[in-house]
Amino acid sequence: MLNLTKKIENSKGCVALEGRLDTVTAPGLEEELKAALPGIQELTLDFEKLEYISSAGLRVLLSTQKIMANKGGMKVIHVNETIMEIFEVTGFADILTVE
Amino acid sequence: MKLFHRLRVSMAANIIGAIVIVLSLFGIVVSTIGFVSFTRAFEKEYSETTAHMADTAAAMVNGDSIDMYLSGRKAMEYVMTRADLDDYCKKMSVSLVYIIKVDRTDYGRFVSVFNSVNNSVDDTEYVEWELGHKRDTTNDEYRRKYRSIYEQKSASETVYRTNTTDGVHPHITTMVPVKNSTGSVAAILCIQRPMRELYDARRPYLITVAVSTLLLALASSVFAAFYIRKQVVLPLRRLSAEATRFSKENTRGETLERVSRFEELSGLATSIDTMEGEMVSYIDNLTAVTAEKERIGAELSVARTIQENSIPNIFPPFPGRREFDIFAVMDPAKEVGGDFYNFFLIDDDHLALTIGDVSGKGVPAALFMMVTNILISDRTKAGGTPASILTSINADICRRNKAEMFVTVWLGILEISTGRVTAANAGHEYPVIRRPGGRFELLKDRHGFVVGGMDGICYKDYDFTLEPGASLFIYTDGVPEATDADSRMFGVERMLTALNRDPQAGAEEMLRAVRRDVDGFVKDATQFDDLTMLGLTFRGKPGEEKQPEE
Repeated sequence: MLNLTKKIENSKGCVALEGRLDTVTAPGLEEELKAALPGIQELTLDFEKLEYISSAGLRVLLSTQKIMANKGGMKVIHVNETIMEIFEVTGFADILTVE
Repeated sequence: MKLFHRLRVSMAANIIGAIVIVLSLFGIVVSTIGFVSFTRAFEKEYSETTAHMADTAAAMVNGDSIDMYLSGRKAMEYVMTRADLDDYCKKMSVSLVYIIKVDRTDYGRFVSVFNSVNNSVDDTEYVEWELGHKRDTTNDEYRRKYRSIYEQKSASETVYRTNTTDGVHPHITTMVPVKNSTGSVAAILCIQRPMRELYDARRPYLITVAVSTLLLALASSVFAAFYIRKQVVLPLRRLSAEATRFSKENTRGETLERVSRFEELSGLATSIDTMEGEMVSYIDNLTAVTAEKERIGAELSVARTIQENSIPNIFPPFPGRREFDIFAVMDPAKEVGGDFYNFFLIDDDHLALTIGDVSGKGVPAALFMMVTNILISDRTKAGGTPASILTSINADICRRNKAEMFVTVWLGILEISTGRVTAANAGHEYPVIRRPGGRFELLKDRHGFVVGGMDGICYKDYDFTLEPGASLFIYTDGVPEATDADSRMFGVERMLTALNRDPQAGAEEMLRAVRRDVDGFVKDATQFDDLTMLGLTFRGKPGEEKQPEE
């Protein structure tokens, strides 16, 4: 289960995720972001209520990061301990801007 | 009984039966009404005629002489009048003509004045009453009517004896007054006339009505039978036959739309036509989809075999090598998976060990896994440190990674003679190591980014030494992230507990212990992620293995 809350203001987008970002829910997020990204210069992902991220979720993060790297950038905020550990193990901690 | 059942369930038979019953009831009602009104009309007509006849007869009698006749006077006139009445009785075909003088105190008795009998008319056996013969009035009806005549309340009265039970033939008795010159009633003249004519006329009438009704019912039934058969039963049979045929053959039949001109039936026919069309296209579609599914299923099954055989899966893999014991399992969540492990001897002294996990699952992950696995074994066999191998593979994969997949890889090279492991970790889970006499612990090694995620990543080597008796356990996230029905994860702690339960366990026992604990934890929940493990126990050169420290 994954709930998305999207807010876009002045080409600054904020997407808050709630639940589990895994093989089942990752394609949904990818669709949503694909639709929203063209109008966004700076993207913020709020992981405050995200419980779990799998490799499929990491893949979405990575492709989004690549798109946003050519624009105003992407940052991930409110990352909890479990997910930070996953970021560290997979090396994503070095790639993403985590605040 | 069988025939009765067939008639009971046959629509045509039921409708025809209903028509016969209705027409029969109708016939009975019509016959009854006809019978009653015919009888009434006949009786009215008959009694009127009889009344006229009685009037005529009464005119032949001198009302002033009645009392004198009774007292024996005017015998000559009496005889002549009597002869006239006898004559009349014969000519007019009546059974009886009689004149009586009724006792007017209560009309209960009377004396006979004249009495002419004609037994031949109605086959009767009457005996003539003598002049002055006294009798009691037959019943109250006669008494009432005598009084009515005497009091001149009516010109004539009639008594019907149509339903006789005493063997007397049906007849009517009509009575009229015999008046004297002063206009008062001196006596009553009665004529008894047989009713045979009524019966003679009524029987053919009844037969006509009954027979014609019966014929009408029969004709209507036959017509209804043919009509219903042609317009309803046959179309219904065709519809039913088509429905039966369709259920057996599942193919489109002839169009039924014109089966009947009735809206109800043609509507049903159209529905059947539409249903057939939709069912046929649905079945075609389903057949195609099922065939496609079977094809994919068969292909996936072959793909699974190919994948299983792309990694070493016969144990022990190096029966001649006593220095180490190795065991590994890969258990995809679907037919094929994105996990892999691999191990092979680079040369006599170097054993490569690798484990990886491609992002996602199923066929895309499996294809990516095959490519990565082959790249790793090729590059490793060509020489170089794990970091340089992964760096080169990452560059390779990133060049042609349109799908933006990535893979986490742990690659280690064991120098068998020394136990030294050189390794690099591309975003993979921490390896677990048990030193001789110790417990399994996570090795918090240096992590690089996942392979295929970003171009230009440089991985770094690190090393550690496995002393004889040490064990190494590497795994994919399917182990710690195995999830039970309540979405709880197995976790690294439970994994370490399982590994530490038996310090003497060999590589195969280590993996079995973990698998047993994972299965016990997730219970009936569906396996969600690929689950892959590789275990190695290092013995070193034969005889070098250290005893566990107490």
